[in-house]
Amino acid sequence: MNKKDIYWYAFIAVLVAIPLIPAVAKNSFLGHVLILILLFASMSQSWNIIGGYGGQVSFGHSVFFGIGAYGAGMAVVKYGIMPWPGVLIGALTAAVVAVIISYPCFKLTGHYFAIATFAIVEIFNRLFMIWDWVGGALGLDYPLVEEGWKNFMWYETKIHYYYGALILFVLIFGIVRWIERNRIGYYLKAVREGQEAAESIGVNSTLVKLTAMAISAFLAALCGGFFAQYNLRVDPPMVMSLDMAMKFVLITILGGTGTVLGPLVGALILIPLQEYARALWGGLGGGVDLMIFGLLIIIIIVRQPRGIMGIISDVCSHVKKVKGIALETKGGG
Amino acid sequence: MTIFFQIAINGLLVGMIYALITVGLSLIWGVMNVINFAHGDFLMVAMYISYWLGFLVHMDPIISWIASGTFCFILGILTYRLIIRRCLSGPVLSALLATFGLSLVIRNFCLNRFSPNFRLLRKTLLGGKKIVLGGLYLPLPQLVTGIFALVVVFVIYYIIKRTRLGWAIEAVAMDKEAAELMGINTDKIFALLCGMSGACVGIAGGLLPSYLTVYPEVGVLFCFIAFVCVAMGGFGSILGALMAALLVGLVEAFGGFYIAPIFKYVVIFGLYLVVVTFRPKGLFGW
Amino acid sequence: MKNLKKKGILFITLTVFMLVSLFGGAAFAAEKVIKIGTLFPLTGPCALAGARCKIAVETAIEVINNKHPECKVPLAESEGVLDGYKFVLVSADHGGKPDVGKIEAERLFDREKVYTIIGCYNSAVTKPASFVAERRKKIFMCGCSSSAALTQRGFKYFFRLAPHDEIESREFCDVLIWLNKTKNAGIKTVGCIYENTEFGKHAADEAKKAAKAAGFNYTTDIPYSPGATNLDSEVMTLRAKNPDAVFGACLGSDYTLWVRTMKQMGWLPKIAINYCSGYQDPVIAKQLGDDGNYFTGGTGYAPGFADMMPAVAAVEDIYKSKVKLTVPFDSDSIQECIAMFILAQAIEKAGTLDYDKVRETLYANEWESPMSIGGKVVFVEGGQNDKAMSIITQLQGGKYKGVFPPESATAKIVFPIIPWDKR
Repeated sequence: MNKKDIYWYAFIAVLVAIPLIPAVAKNSFLGHVLILILLFASMSQSWNIIGGYGGQVSFGHSVFFGIGAYGAGMAVVKYGIMPWPGVLIGALTAAVVAVIISYPCFKLTGHYFAIATFAIVEIFNRLFMIWDWVGGALGLDYPLVEEGWKNFMWYETKIHYYYGALILFVLIFGIVRWIERNRIGYYLKAVREGQEAAESIGVNSTLVKLTAMAISAFLAALCGGFFAQYNLRVDPPMVMSLDMAMKFVLITILGGTGTVLGPLVGALILIPLQEYARALWGGLGGGVDLMIFGLLIIIIIVRQPRGIMGIISDVCSHVKKVKGIALETKGGG
Repeated sequence: MTIFFQIAINGLLVGMIYALITVGLSLIWGVMNVINFAHGDFLMVAMYISYWLGFLVHMDPIISWIASGTFCFILGILTYRLIIRRCLSGPVLSALLATFGLSLVIRNFCLNRFSPNFRLLRKTLLGGKKIVLGGLYLPLPQLVTGIFALVVVFVIYYIIKRTRLGWAIEAVAMDKEAAELMGINTDKIFALLCGMSGACVGIAGGLLPSYLTVYPEVGVLFCFIAFVCVAMGGFGSILGALMAALLVGLVEAFGGFYIAPIFKYVVIFGLYLVVVTFRPKGLFGW
Repeated sequence: MKNLKKKGILFITLTVFMLVSLFGGAAFAAEKVIKIGTLFPLTGPCALAGARCKIAVETAIEVINNKHPECKVPLAESEGVLDGYKFVLVSADHGGKPDVGKIEAERLFDREKVYTIIGCYNSAVTKPASFVAERRKKIFMCGCSSSAALTQRGFKYFFRLAPHDEIESREFCDVLIWLNKTKNAGIKTVGCIYENTEFGKHAADEAKKAAKAAGFNYTTDIPYSPGATNLDSEVMTLRAKNPDAVFGACLGSDYTLWVRTMKQMGWLPKIAINYCSGYQDPVIAKQLGDDGNYFTGGTGYAPGFADMMPAVAAVEDIYKSKVKLTVPFDSDSIQECIAMFILAQAIEKAGTLDYDKVRETLYANEWESPMSIGGKVVFVEGGQNDKAMSIITQLQGGKYKGVFPPESATAKIVFPIIPWDKR
């Protein structure tokens, strides 16, 4: 177990302990913010697999997120069973859909690819709005069911949702940490940095990208299932919209693409900003919270495209440099 | 049969409006490889300017487009100076994301200042009028905007292909470093292009209040359609953007009637996916 | 070095902001104050309606809290309720998003400690938000969300003032039957053009149900995506199918686009009746001018009703002073205002803030409501206001004139709609 692992496990231990603090347990809004942070960090991390490590900036992940959410929703609302099979089916469907639509899309580059992913989100959004089997524009409203892990629903307290989100978080971050250290991670990065070069040394770039996409979509769909269970309602504008797709991208880019901690850092900044700005100023109705959100995005992307992690690593390397110079001058005399 | 031709006319008129909005995006993309997410919000700002001029001093949109166009020209240059310039050295999509932030700021600023009220000009020179030819009718506001669109597109095309400025722009598009070595001030060219892009969408926004209601979200769908048109037209092709926009307008009109109105936009986005599957660089891109 | 310093400062500022925001939180001191939470869309596509609804509640609170002898409504002459308690508004925005609505409802109850929530305009948001209230056994007042399902859930603490779209659909069909009987109208086919959202789809479903039940042929169903760039295909399809009557559920800007596109295409149905939408907005009516004439819709309030409901005028003056663009009340905002009044009256009558007692009081009494059509409010099981009525109005000469039911009519209906070329 190296140092990084130790830090990681210690961090998780802290996260497990947080709800035990009474001040946190009583504050339902803070609980909500923490759950959202974990959820969006997980969502962005799933995007990171293909968007950060794979270098394919896709604005289409809300489609997979939505399929997962609908999986859960259909199971509970339409068939009256527990959400788990629905989420599983939704996640597998999302992975399949991801592979089918990515295969032609991976031939596109740069903006063509990005706009293709926009187009896909819009198409799915509008189709789901018309599709009566999934509720269409009316959406799926959850009925009152028994609380508990079986139905993954709780009405009074947020603590169980928090632990559910934490499990999802540990799972997805764990997978990405594993990817980063194993072959598939190296293949992905190689393809990102130079597809032809990678292919020339025998990497099957199409297979690598499609695998990454499938995993990414599967995990995004799991997050979608959680979202549906948390909000007790699913409709296309909530889960399959461009707004949601942008969140996947923005949080990761703000935090730092292609890094393990990037999505977490991004979520730690954007989610409290979004929620507390709305809580404090949303009532004024002027969209002030969204303006601040927009300004923050502009500032960060303009100043440091590698995101917060980029800023941190700059600071660290500068500190190291200064230390190195200090040691040198000390030694040299 | 009249229905068929009427639909075609509707589609072409709508497509021409899309073209005017798209041509600006095409300019910036073809030269700087940047897509301005806030493009739709520039349109919205232009519409507000035209509306306020119409409401307060009774200036008709057929004149106030000059003011909207000029304002958005300046807005475009400012956007370049403050945001886009700094994203040019970063990853390819950073300008898109940064301008997404800009779009949030502009849209909510307008929401804040102008309130979400729907604003419609009661009496405009063109509003509600139409030309009737045989069994077909051409609505005047859309027709005039469409004519403006064609004029603007061809003016820009002429500038790019026939003037020294245009050659400088093409040079920069082909190879930025080489152009700089030849003494072309790429920074000024980029600023000018962003300004021109703003001006085009400003003219469109100036004319639209003749028949459309103005409110903070009005630019959103136009913006997405413009993205699709510009990508379908292809990188670096102004005429491609025009063709794509007209095609989108026609497909929207025919799809909307012969399939069902609710599939209008699904068909447009689906069309884009079909086109790029067979031509990954758009219809005329390089 | 300078660049790095800047980056470092940026980073530290962000971290501080993040920490502060994570552990911040406000506490309010308690005096003789009853907090009322309002949850409306103050941003997003329905921001206009949401802003007006919020101000309507503000107006009601202003009248209740202070002496307003000029307003002839209950509680206007006194100050506050329960011997000196004043109401305070705490406003929240849900932006049209159901997930945000749920969280804001929780935050309003748990953190801001509001007594009740009045909201949410969008039925899709009212559902989860009122669910939160029901779980906490706290009262939720809904002014104008139109989905019939809201009062069919068997909730105990949910109350809704406005008529819902099932009631309205039946009323629209009654209009058609009345026209067929008294004017030999020959209306056989019905169509519906609606925005493809929770509101529009629900209205259209109810329209279809009611039309079939009344024996009409429902031939045309045209959903459209709101915020459309043009409605050409939609109106072309309407014109091709040519239904005798069209029911509309089009909000704001889409409504004006629909009317103007119909003018361009030179087509009109024999009669067009609208659900709570762009038709009822007095600002839009003014903007459309002559083009908007002869359309009809279900209206909970219109400036033309002043004679029927004299009490509204004085309250409306206060409302106008608070709202931008000085608009009069419209059908939606007035219901939110009424919701506040009814709640205050119930608290006063129950003599306590205990939720169960107030709830029982709400159910047990017939309430004086000079601002409602019919002047009375009575709640039945599920929370629906059984006396909720809307009058079908028609825009004539830019003014809303009541045309149905015949007993409350202030003008004769112009039927069929006068074609464009004859205006």
